[in-house]
Amino acid sequence: MSLRVLNPNAEVLNKSAALHMNINAAKGLQDVLKTNLGPKGTIKMLVGGAGDIKLTKDGNTLLKEMQIQNPTAIMIARTAVAQDDTSGDGTTSTVLFIGELMKQSERYIDEGMHPRVLVDGFEIAKRATLQFLEKFKTPVVMGSEPDKEILKMVARTTLRTKLYEGLADQLTDIVVNAVLGIRKPDEPIDLFMVEIMHMRHKFDVDTRLVEGLVLDHGSRHPDMKRRAENCYILTCNVSLEYEKSEINAGFFYSNAEQREAMVAAERRSVDERVKKIIELKNKVCAVTENNFVVINQKGIDPPSLHLLQQEGIIALRRAKRRNMERLVLACGGEAINSVDDLTPDCLGWAGLVYEHVLGEDKYTFVENVRHPHSCTILIKGPNDHTIAQIKDAVRDGLRAVKNTIEDEAVVLGAGAFEVAARQYLINEVKKSVQGRAQLGVEAFADALLVVPKTLAENAGLDTQDVIIGLTGEHDRGNVVGLNHQTGEPMDPQMEGIFDNYSVKRQIINSGPVIASQLLLVDEVIRAGRNMRKPT
Amino acid sequence: MAFSMQPYGIQSMLKEGHKHLSGLDEAVLKNIDACKQLSTITRTSLGPEGMNKMVINHLDKLFVTNDAATIVNELEVQHPAAKILVLAGKAQQEEIGDGANLTISFAGELLQNAEELIRMGLHPSEIISGYTKAITKTIEVLGELVEEGSETMDVRDKEQVVTRMKAAVASKQHGQEDILCSLIADACIQVCPKNPANFDVDNVRVSKLVGGGLHNCTIVRGMVLKGDAVGSIKLIEKAKVAVFASGVDTSATETKGTVLIHSAEQLENYAKTEEARVEDLIKAVADSGAKVIVSGGPVGEMALHFCERYKLMVLKISSKFELRRFCRTTGTSALLKLSQLKADDLGFIDSISVEEIGGSRVTVVRSEEGGNKIATVLLRGSTDSILDDLERAVDDGVNTYKAMCRDSRMVPGAAATEIELARRLKEFSFKETGLDQYAIAKFAESFEMVPRTLAENAGLNPMDIISKLYEKHASGNAKVGIDLEGGDSEDGFCKDVSTLNIWDLYVTKFFALKFAADAACTVLRVDQIIMAKPAGGPGRREQPAGMDED
Repeated sequence: MSLRVLNPNAEVLNKSAALHMNINAAKGLQDVLKTNLGPKGTIKMLVGGAGDIKLTKDGNTLLKEMQIQNPTAIMIARTAVAQDDTSGDGTTSTVLFIGELMKQSERYIDEGMHPRVLVDGFEIAKRATLQFLEKFKTPVVMGSEPDKEILKMVARTTLRTKLYEGLADQLTDIVVNAVLGIRKPDEPIDLFMVEIMHMRHKFDVDTRLVEGLVLDHGSRHPDMKRRAENCYILTCNVSLEYEKSEINAGFFYSNAEQREAMVAAERRSVDERVKKIIELKNKVCAVTENNFVVINQKGIDPPSLHLLQQEGIIALRRAKRRNMERLVLACGGEAINSVDDLTPDCLGWAGLVYEHVLGEDKYTFVENVRHPHSCTILIKGPNDHTIAQIKDAVRDGLRAVKNTIEDEAVVLGAGAFEVAARQYLINEVKKSVQGRAQLGVEAFADALLVVPKTLAENAGLDTQDVIIGLTGEHDRGNVVGLNHQTGEPMDPQMEGIFDNYSVKRQIINSGPVIASQLLLVDEVIRAGRNMRKPT
Repeated sequence: MAFSMQPYGIQSMLKEGHKHLSGLDEAVLKNIDACKQLSTITRTSLGPEGMNKMVINHLDKLFVTNDAATIVNELEVQHPAAKILVLAGKAQQEEIGDGANLTISFAGELLQNAEELIRMGLHPSEIISGYTKAITKTIEVLGELVEEGSETMDVRDKEQVVTRMKAAVASKQHGQEDILCSLIADACIQVCPKNPANFDVDNVRVSKLVGGGLHNCTIVRGMVLKGDAVGSIKLIEKAKVAVFASGVDTSATETKGTVLIHSAEQLENYAKTEEARVEDLIKAVADSGAKVIVSGGPVGEMALHFCERYKLMVLKISSKFELRRFCRTTGTSALLKLSQLKADDLGFIDSISVEEIGGSRVTVVRSEEGGNKIATVLLRGSTDSILDDLERAVDDGVNTYKAMCRDSRMVPGAAATEIELARRLKEFSFKETGLDQYAIAKFAESFEMVPRTLAENAGLNPMDIISKLYEKHASGNAKVGIDLEGGDSEDGFCKDVSTLNIWDLYVTKFFALKFAADAACTVLRVDQIIMAKPAGGPGRREQPAGMDED
């Protein structure tokens, strides 16, 4: 081989070997992820290098944790991760779709077809499918009062594929309410304003939505109040501790009195800042029974804490930066950077502030705020892997709700879209295409069926029966999806199974692109030094 | 051409050293097997006649115990599925503080029965759905089994407390439960706050001192600190206490200070002013009426000198948490700096004395009239491992007290509840149509594990006893359990537990069963395991099992 002449150490795979390597890798990855799809998918257990356990059904998590090395598989995995970045869901479907495209192509290639022709067909089919998607989608009017029911349906569809039913249904409400809570008219939804906090405590079904914030630290003074109602919240980023000067300074003193004076002087500026806060507290809480809470991003040293405690102020130090923004959104008021211009307007308000101690860890709840533009989903679970699993699911659920609000459209789920699109491609598009590209369209159409097929397989149903039942109904003009309990066709609209429009669009967009690239590879060359030990 | 030879499938895609297990045989059954192994280990420790285990952990520390939480913790389980069971046990330990053994053993039994179902041809998802139905039903039935009248209790009534605590303590220290329960109950009742729901486990301390025996164990209303007092005053009674979080010494600036001295005279003066300062401070403390100074930091030589002169007792508690507890005991708040005291900064104690118990010096702080916030159980025993085991029993007892403060409902103990649950659940399974019924029936059967194990561990014939129990339960008495000492009586080993006074807390059972069912379902749900190459690191070869738990 010519390359061997140029570099004797290079490894090379020629035409058909390269293609088959790609196809095999795609199929292999498909095999791994296949069992994940749908509400009846099974769980994978990932054991990390340190023996830590992770349980997941989420394709994205799995791909991330699996540490894949095969170059083709990495390419596919990256596409799937990109899918997750843009739409937050559909990773498993992407991988399955790519795998199936390759599998279908293999059949034609083995019969002597040139990959280029298939790729042309893919391109035509892709465009047609996207057009069909536009027609097929169910528009949803969002406006200022979004239809909660439809959002719930979308969220439920996503969550049920990640968690078991009972928990998924409970999280559905939480997720929808959280997104609607932080939504502001005419502004894009910022999902970072939903804090996801976890406590290792009780059961997974104790997960709840907190209208306010949960901070994962508590006050550092043993005598501070543990619980306070009707609180003013001062959010600040002011250092309330003695800081060493940056220059290398020292004191000279010649007797103990002088030293005492020095000690007092050192603290004076800090004490003054604390006094200003106390003054404000006295001003706003003078006659009422209201309480005062200081949440500081910087530190508060023990003497300052002591002063604040004496005034009955709850003080939290070293709050996380991201929580500062959320606090302001949740409680109102504004975050201050200096105590010089304190006014009552800077203060936020919360109905209830309390501390919860769980073993060694302390949590502070800021609840019953007036306008929860930021809220917290508090995940509970008996152990870490349950919590991690819920966390991933919640994130996907939030994304699904957000997508729906932004897309203003949903797509019928349970495989209904895939079957309908296939019928459209076979019956209409294929006939309008000239020449051999028809076969590409056909391969694409058949590849679409991987979703209902896999759904059926995971539910322990007979794949062929299911597909025939579904296509039969579609031929009769009924849009149906798969009921995974019975294996019979059913109307997804009645069952409330909706997928995200953007997720589907992304799958159809990215799947064929990567499949085409892989099919068009005709040589794989590994040159350069092999970092792995010779085997 | 190295990479054209790659095998097909997932194995080729993973990094070297990764393991991939999938499918029914490779993943599910192997997982079940591992969990079974684990529960076989813990099972023999279940119940009052349970055997002790000797576990030597990676630090060569010896544990002799039958407390399942400790055993599995020190075992450092590696197998991922078995680890799920361990985590369930730990969750139970954190939530209730007792019943970890029940959780692990029961989950193991559930999985063992699941294996039989799988071999019969059931799909794991059907077993899961059956088990889920069964646990929901179990919880429902468990609620019905609650002893009437136990919803309300006076958590300050020792007798009621002991009734509920006995089973938990007896399962750890059989034969000594009467002595221990009475001690624990006393300590708990003493520190129980006005609202019992706020009971804090941390307020009952345990102090272990080698020597003596169980009969020398006592309760101290207050604290027992290891170590001696700093000064020469070793005993003080009815005195006021001042607590300083920082050390008792001259004050210092945060920035480095240097003494500037121009002449010899100044040097002399400096030492004098320094002395005067300290004397002023100590005098201020003494004038305020305090007779004891407790310091969280170092005590300066000079300060100590003046303390002695003003007849102040000096204690040093370097642990921050210990200091906080001391503050709670005496009703003070720790002062940050050695400065002027206000009268309400002072706390009060009945006595502080340095005593010599079993060869070690301890400082006993008694506060009988005051806050009564902290009680210490002083445990005596001949060896360290006995003491450790006693401590675990006390911990379990205290945790049970905490649980009963929140929810005082109780159910019959000594396997009576389990048999009743098994019976009712079996009836329930007959009503179920579909494949679920097999799983529910197996779930019911799993409950037999408890009486079987109790009997086995006590050296009795399990089959005999279980059938007798069923018989009695079928005839309507839902409270018949195993009486391990009842061999001579006419009823044999089966007796109404309400006459034996063996009760379990409802919450303990509730959480244990729920965690166990959750864990079992989780293990069954897994059909693929992908294991990364175990992280290397120095010292792994010496201790092949010594991987960190978290």
